[in-house]
Amino acid sequence: MSEAILQTAGLGKRFGGRWAVKDLNLEVNAGDVFGFLGPNGAGKSTTIRMILTLLLPTSGNVRIFGKDARENRRSVLSRVCGIVEKPDFYLYLSAYKNLEILGSLTRKVKRDEIFGALEIVGLDSRAQDKVKTFSHGMKQRLGVAQAILTKPDLVILDEPTSGLDPQGMKEVRELVLKLSKEHGTTVFLSSHLLTEVEAVANRMAVLNHGELIAQGPVSDLLGGDSSYYSIQASPVEGAVQILRKNPWVEIVSVGNGIDVRIESKRAAELNKLLVTNGIDVASFAAKRTLEDYFLKITEGASEV
Amino acid sequence: MSLLSIEIRKTFRRWRTYIGFIVVAGAVILLEVIIKLNETRMAQNFSHGLSGDFLISGSVLNAWVITAFIMNSLYIHVPFLIALVAGDMVSSEATSGTLRFILIRPPSRSNIITAKFFAMLFYTALLILFLGALCVGIGLAFFGGGDLISFQTGMPHIVILPAHVAAASTVMAFLAAILSMSVVGSLAFLFSTLVDNSIGPIIGSIAVVILSFIIGNLPFEFLESLRPYLFTTYMGIWQLLLNSPVDWGEVGKYALALLGYDAAFFAIAYFVFVRKDIKS
Repeated sequence: MSEAILQTAGLGKRFGGRWAVKDLNLEVNAGDVFGFLGPNGAGKSTTIRMILTLLLPTSGNVRIFGKDARENRRSVLSRVCGIVEKPDFYLYLSAYKNLEILGSLTRKVKRDEIFGALEIVGLDSRAQDKVKTFSHGMKQRLGVAQAILTKPDLVILDEPTSGLDPQGMKEVRELVLKLSKEHGTTVFLSSHLLTEVEAVANRMAVLNHGELIAQGPVSDLLGGDSSYYSIQASPVEGAVQILRKNPWVEIVSVGNGIDVRIESKRAAELNKLLVTNGIDVASFAAKRTLEDYFLKITEGASEV
Repeated sequence: MSLLSIEIRKTFRRWRTYIGFIVVAGAVILLEVIIKLNETRMAQNFSHGLSGDFLISGSVLNAWVITAFIMNSLYIHVPFLIALVAGDMVSSEATSGTLRFILIRPPSRSNIITAKFFAMLFYTALLILFLGALCVGIGLAFFGGGDLISFQTGMPHIVILPAHVAAASTVMAFLAAILSMSVVGSLAFLFSTLVDNSIGPIIGSIAVVILSFIIGNLPFEFLESLRPYLFTTYMGIWQLLLNSPVDWGEVGKYALALLGYDAAFFAIAYFVFVRKDIKS
């Protein structure tokens, strides 16, 4: 069994009379890429702020590398790095200077290490440019560079692909996988995109309204969640007529395509049924959105 | 890099930091040029009140006299330049989001706030020393040296410091001015830890300074009891050092009061900062 390097026990934060996070018990194992999933406002950033000692928990505690994070702040944070919400830098300084300053707060960093981190995120050619000239995507990449600069054992990334274009999102995902596979870094990654977590994480937890809904291996949690499908078929009317004749198919919506809900094991059967009835099927894809997933697990299909 | 050197580097990489130096340089150069252009008339005006009691030969205007005059003129305005940077030390990092980045690193909040405080003191000292060096430097170039003749505020006498004493007294006066201005810096610094925007601490601290000056100077008896508690009461410490003889007891009392305010403002800032939830 893997060693748990991040644990929260009964973690909670109350702002005024409202609990932003309540009784949260997380467990992240060494080597995990841990997806922390939840819609905007679910309490993901509040949790990350408590983990990184920016917020004082109202209840519970955080243990990192087996130590209480607040009581052993210095030793714990020397092995952790991350991005909280968005990456903000000293705009009047160059990318190099920013990394030099932020890195030196953990340990002495060499010039080669700074350029190495910048090279990984593709910003080495802009090292001497002031950050105020950077686009959002470049700042996001610089955020990742500062997070990996001191080669931490645990990297915490709060919505790292937020505001990035598809290419930028892909690059960050590849970087996360590279950190995990090549450097053995444990990555704790928050997102409101199920597809993003699914693409990179091996374990995940789902948070909604500040409470933990589900936690476990991604394959276990998402394995049975292929009941929503999006079908691009022609003619649409003909396809709808055929679908309606089959009571095991629930038509969710009809637009340019048809969204249906079926048992996963019958997906191939449905595809075949449409084709044999003369319907041209241009695409037949599992549709898995966070909303669908929440719908499923709040119906009691998943164990918390 | 030590935390202090990081904070000093950050402070002096910002354009805003140099506003104080530019304003001070502009004001001092302007004042000294104007005085130089009107030297004869100004010297006559200055010595007019003295001619009945003193036999004056040569010009009474010299580097030390001009420096004391400029210090008198600017010590109401310099606090604004101090607050401009001190009020921004913590709040600007909260606004820009960089506070999150530095507080998730190993150094403790206590060390970070202390480093920021000393960086603020360093800026304050440098600005006052710059003001002093410029006043004296240009003064010596334009007017040369001589005896320092000054009218002590609230005292019924004129002080004449011989040339060899004037230089040392002026240096001491500027060192005391650093202590005096550090209290304004500490107050702005405290305000900077309370809010997440830069304007509030700057305006807030200046408002407190102005209000304290007003209360301290209004000729109402019922305000007398308040004056010992106003830090502005002690900000004129540097003037005591241009007196003859210097009342060292009074200087010590003023210095202790100013150090007390510095310590109190820093202590509050410290306790606020180390317990603060970082939501920005």
